[in-house]
Amino acid sequence: MVQKRVLIFAEQVNGELQPIGLELLGSGRLLADKLGATLSALVLGSNIAHLASTLIGHGADEVFVADHPELAQYRTLPYRRVMTDLIKSWPEPPHTILLGSTTTGRDLAPRLAAHLETGLTADCTDLDIGPFEYSNSKDPSKSGLFRDCLYAIRPSFGESLKARILGPWKNPQMATVRPGVMVPLPWDGSRRGEVFQVPVQLDPSDLSLQIVETVRNLSQTTDLTRAEVIVSGGYGLGSPEGFELMQQLAACFPNSAVGSSRKAVDSGWIPYAHQVGQTGKTVRPQIYIACGISGAIQHRVGMDKSRTIIAINKDSSAPIFKFAHYGIVGDLYQVVPEMIRQLQQNQSQPQAHPTERIPVLQGH
Amino acid sequence: MESFVLIKQVPDQSSKAGINSDGTIDRAKAKRMLNPFDRYALEAALQTKRQHGARVTAITMGPPPAIEVLYEAIAHGVDRGFLMTDRRLAASDTLATAYTLAQTVRYAGSPDLIFCGLQTTDGDTAQVGPQLAERLGIPQVTYCEAFEIRDGILLARRAIEGGSQTVTVPLPVLVTVANSAQRLAYPTLRGAQRVQRLMRDEAARAEVIQIINLDDVGADPERCGLKGSPTIVAATEKVGEIGGNCQIFQGQSVPSLVKSLTEAASISSYVGAR
Repeated sequence: MVQKRVLIFAEQVNGELQPIGLELLGSGRLLADKLGATLSALVLGSNIAHLASTLIGHGADEVFVADHPELAQYRTLPYRRVMTDLIKSWPEPPHTILLGSTTTGRDLAPRLAAHLETGLTADCTDLDIGPFEYSNSKDPSKSGLFRDCLYAIRPSFGESLKARILGPWKNPQMATVRPGVMVPLPWDGSRRGEVFQVPVQLDPSDLSLQIVETVRNLSQTTDLTRAEVIVSGGYGLGSPEGFELMQQLAACFPNSAVGSSRKAVDSGWIPYAHQVGQTGKTVRPQIYIACGISGAIQHRVGMDKSRTIIAINKDSSAPIFKFAHYGIVGDLYQVVPEMIRQLQQNQSQPQAHPTERIPVLQGH
Repeated sequence: MESFVLIKQVPDQSSKAGINSDGTIDRAKAKRMLNPFDRYALEAALQTKRQHGARVTAITMGPPPAIEVLYEAIAHGVDRGFLMTDRRLAASDTLATAYTLAQTVRYAGSPDLIFCGLQTTDGDTAQVGPQLAERLGIPQVTYCEAFEIRDGILLARRAIEGGSQTVTVPLPVLVTVANSAQRLAYPTLRGAQRVQRLMRDEAARAEVIQIINLDDVGADPERCGLKGSPTIVAATEKVGEIGGNCQIFQGQSVPSLVKSLTEAASISSYVGAR
């Protein structure tokens, strides 16, 4: 019997697995179990043999390791080559391939899908397996009852709709998945799995792009997708110096980042990497503190999945007060320094255990 | 040097016009606009014109009204445009779109640079750029924040998680442009006048904007539209409106306002060491 596979792409940076890979394993495990399939993980890099056991401990049945100096840092074409060669070496394509909606996954997945001439659903927030019955008079060749299809569920049209995308006519069915949404399985050291070395054969044309420099200096304040608390500033800050205050408030929280609205980015007050919203990043921290942000739809779609939204704004009629959970109507230059003072006072007192951090919620 | 820029007309989500009660779009009624991300791509393409004298070609695919975004691009200084429009393109997913665009690009010429917006605001997939690059067999630089061209080599800075990366790659290359400090300026007076003339004079328009279909570019209709799309939207569900019950603190002294809010929102438990 031919082996049915769910394949996940495990990103690594400098030999360190990125959280998204383990999240994909958690989600992939459920899909593979429903399908009766093998859950396979693929990791590419240089000197990365040690990652295989981590991937197995977090749910993989088998791990494919492509270890080669040219793969040390992610580049589109070498990675695309190795992945398509591996997939084509199997007697049957995988049922499903999952990648993260990171800058890497969103760069690689479409190239892979185009090469394999298959469908790809972007930026999913939910995945499942189920049957699908379809008939379309314009394309009768697609009609029929399909068992065991990938349900790729994603927000669409500025997050106002949830769409279920299906493409059972061709395997692999592919999706990229938003970081921070799927839940990794706990580590289980007793899990066993197989590890395979992937042969790496690159074409000189794959190496035309060269990396001059990679800088990852922004992690403390910019990695919006991983921050638990985001302090965001808008045009209401009045000047770029306002972001220093945002920085100080963010510094009160150990896992925090500074965000911004588009207008502040367009004004050149803060780099694009901080922008939250339709043309920036989508975030879902535990706490989102919006300072001087009016809450236009373009900003809202990037942050309204935050667990607790706090708005500080002079204008009581600002739209943000319609969907925030808590708000202060007042001058942020008075409110924020006071907030920093009170939080710092708090810091010196004993902390609650992390499991006790259950915020009072409204409207969720 | 030949620079192409791919642009799309999208529904304006900040306008309620054309949004059905179930949250879906009535594209015929919806207010239309140039995809906001494409403004950055347009600015990048115009940069190659200013700095290297590139001829800039804008390409769009969509129903006939999509010609509006070509006029907009020309008003900003784009030299010529192509509108790929064909009823057989209905229900195209990203794979079919990238195939159609690849055929269109080949028909329009041999670009040294292709600029795309990072993504569109109606699809949000960020897939068409890389899929087009794969179809054309050229390298790509996605999430590009800044670039320059020296001796046929693109030097680009791209955003990555928690930082940035600088890369070099020989032309031709496809670039998807991230929002950055580079803003598209206002249309030039000369550009606006040129558009006025094109809109009045069909013969003049035809010299600048070609309206083409699948047959013109030799595209296989089986690989386009619904037939060429391996994915379909099987169901949609409106996401409920949130909020409406914001607990607002105002009027007290600032210290007591802040105290009330931080207690209500349980902020303190996030403070301090992990």
